[in-house]
Amino acid sequence: MKKEIRSLLKMRAVSMAIEPELKRDSSAIIEIIEFTLAAEIYGIESAFVREVCILKDFTPLPGVPSYILGIVNIHGQILPVVDLKIFFNLPEKGLGELNKVIILCDDQMEFGILADDVKGIKTIYREEILPIPPKISGIGEKYLKGVTKDRLIILSAKNLLSDKSIVVYEEVNQ
Amino acid sequence: MKLTIGTKIYTGYFLAILIIIFFGLTAYLNTGKLLSDSKWVTHSNEVKNNITSVLSAMQDAETGQRGFIITGNESYLVPYFQGRDSIYPILKKLKGLIIDNENQTHRADLVESLIEKRLAEIEEIIQIRRSKGFASAESGVMTGTGKKTMDSIRAILAEMTREEDILLANRSSKMEAVTHKTTSTILWGIPISVIILALIGFIITRNVAKPLRMVTRTAESIANGDLSGSITSSGRNDEVGALMQSFNKMIKMLREQNQEILKGVNIIASTSSQILTSTTRIATGSAETAAAISQTTTTVEEVRQASQLSSQKAKNLSDSSNKVAEVSLKGQKAVEETVDGINNISKQMDEIAQTVILLSEQSQSIGGIIASVTNLADQSNLLAVNAAIEAAKAGEQGKGFAVVALEIRNLAEQSKQATMQVRKILNDVQKATNAAVLATEQGNRAVEAGVKKSAQAGEAIRILTESSGEAVQIATQIVASSQQQLIGMDQIGMAMQNINQAGMETSISMTQAEEALTNLHELGRKLKELVEQFKM
Repeated sequence: MKKEIRSLLKMRAVSMAIEPELKRDSSAIIEIIEFTLAAEIYGIESAFVREVCILKDFTPLPGVPSYILGIVNIHGQILPVVDLKIFFNLPEKGLGELNKVIILCDDQMEFGILADDVKGIKTIYREEILPIPPKISGIGEKYLKGVTKDRLIILSAKNLLSDKSIVVYEEVNQ
Repeated sequence: MKLTIGTKIYTGYFLAILIIIFFGLTAYLNTGKLLSDSKWVTHSNEVKNNITSVLSAMQDAETGQRGFIITGNESYLVPYFQGRDSIYPILKKLKGLIIDNENQTHRADLVESLIEKRLAEIEEIIQIRRSKGFASAESGVMTGTGKKTMDSIRAILAEMTREEDILLANRSSKMEAVTHKTTSTILWGIPISVIILALIGFIITRNVAKPLRMVTRTAESIANGDLSGSITSSGRNDEVGALMQSFNKMIKMLREQNQEILKGVNIIASTSSQILTSTTRIATGSAETAAAISQTTTTVEEVRQASQLSSQKAKNLSDSSNKVAEVSLKGQKAVEETVDGINNISKQMDEIAQTVILLSEQSQSIGGIIASVTNLADQSNLLAVNAAIEAAKAGEQGKGFAVVALEIRNLAEQSKQATMQVRKILNDVQKATNAAVLATEQGNRAVEAGVKKSAQAGEAIRILTESSGEAVQIATQIVASSQQQLIGMDQIGMAMQNINQAGMETSISMTQAEEALTNLHELGRKLKELVEQFKM
């Protein structure tokens, strides 16, 4: 065991000692959070991601559109959770895990979106984002930034956050 | 005459005997005379021989003397010695022979003295010859005394011989006379006695034969069946007369008996024909009975065989039922053992189920652990992501932190991988456990089915045992009743045999009786014929 630990530590030390590679223009790269939803891999800019957490308990709300799953309590903060599958009218491709919440926030809006699994952060170049060929995904073009050659669908967090149709404004009579 | 035939015959024989005696005596006497005469003849011949011997002896002596005188050889004296030695015994013998005849004796004495003298003379001459020689001897001989003596001897001997011849002639003539007498007696006597005897025989025969012939004739006629005749008695008192009387009595008796027999025979004939008819009827009846009995016997035999067969079959059935009972007992035992085995299997199944449940619980707890580990991994991952986000937000300063975050993410990934493997293995284990549970379930169901089937089999075997037991009982009963049947049949058979035997015996005795009766009938008929032959 000692040998293994030692080799591992050595590896780590070596990797840490490596100079990080020269970056290009910082504006040429995007860091995206990679997540799976309904058997498809999506990505979203990490700049708009505040946090990723596990969906523990959510409280469903009555009288809200079906794409609103409910509200959750994240570190004492109450946030709504949106099911993108229903919002984008994606066909159900089977049960996923649906236990991750990616919290998107900007100046005005803040809400979470459901994800099956968060893979992690990926750095991609802007050039790699290709325009969407039509008929691949049911999501509207508005919300999509593009797709990479790995079939990674990049969502536009900005557009999502500023979408009016998400806002629910209702009153419930007592 | 009161002479019996025996006496008459005896008389005849007596006469014959007398004649024989007469002839015999005659012959005897004559033969005796002939014998004595012939003895005397022999005697005379012997005397003559002796005389001749004397002479020859003297001549021998002379010859010897002569030879010796001539030759002077002692060997020539042998005849002299021989003669001299033998002469006296011969003389003695001669004298013995003629001792009855005075004349001859006288002569013999004379001869003897002369012989003595002669021998002395010869001796003397011999001595002379020996001592003085031939010439003296010759002169001695020439004196002639010797010759004279010898001549005297010769003469006397010749006389003796002559006398004997005369005697011979006498005796011969006497013998001739006797012989002649005998011959004439026989020649005359035989015809006479033949005639006498023939006469006597004729008389006797006539006396005896005639009445016998008469009796024979009557007997002959009786033999031919004529009982009507009878013999006229001549009043004789001898045996023949007695015979004739008895014969008459016999004829009378025969006649009476014949009549009686005839009466009896008639009765026999009628009775025997009656008996015959009834016996024939009985015989037919017996034959019919015998036929019926033999039929019954055959039927009884058939029934017997059939019952024997059924008894055999029942015994077979009993045997096989017993076997079935044994087998079903074994089967029951086997079923019980099977049930026990199945119960064991069930218990094992339960234990397996328990183990599987344990296993399941364990895997569940493993699953729980995996879940928590996965959770931890996820959280670590999220943590890593959050850290990456913060690092990204931090910019340049967060690069080192980004590495750490990446490392954390790697670790989280690895643990996730590990947990995924574990989860996979756990899934496999789960699948296997499920399969085991299913198998146990199936096994249980099979066990239940097996138990049910065993119960059914046991039930079936029990029923089988019961019914085979019943079958055994029934078979035993059948056997018993068959045995009884057999016994009964045997008894019937024996009774039938007895009846048959009796019937056969009756039949035989009937046949015998029939035969006897037929014989009797035949006999009666023959008797009748016989009796009717005789004329009364």
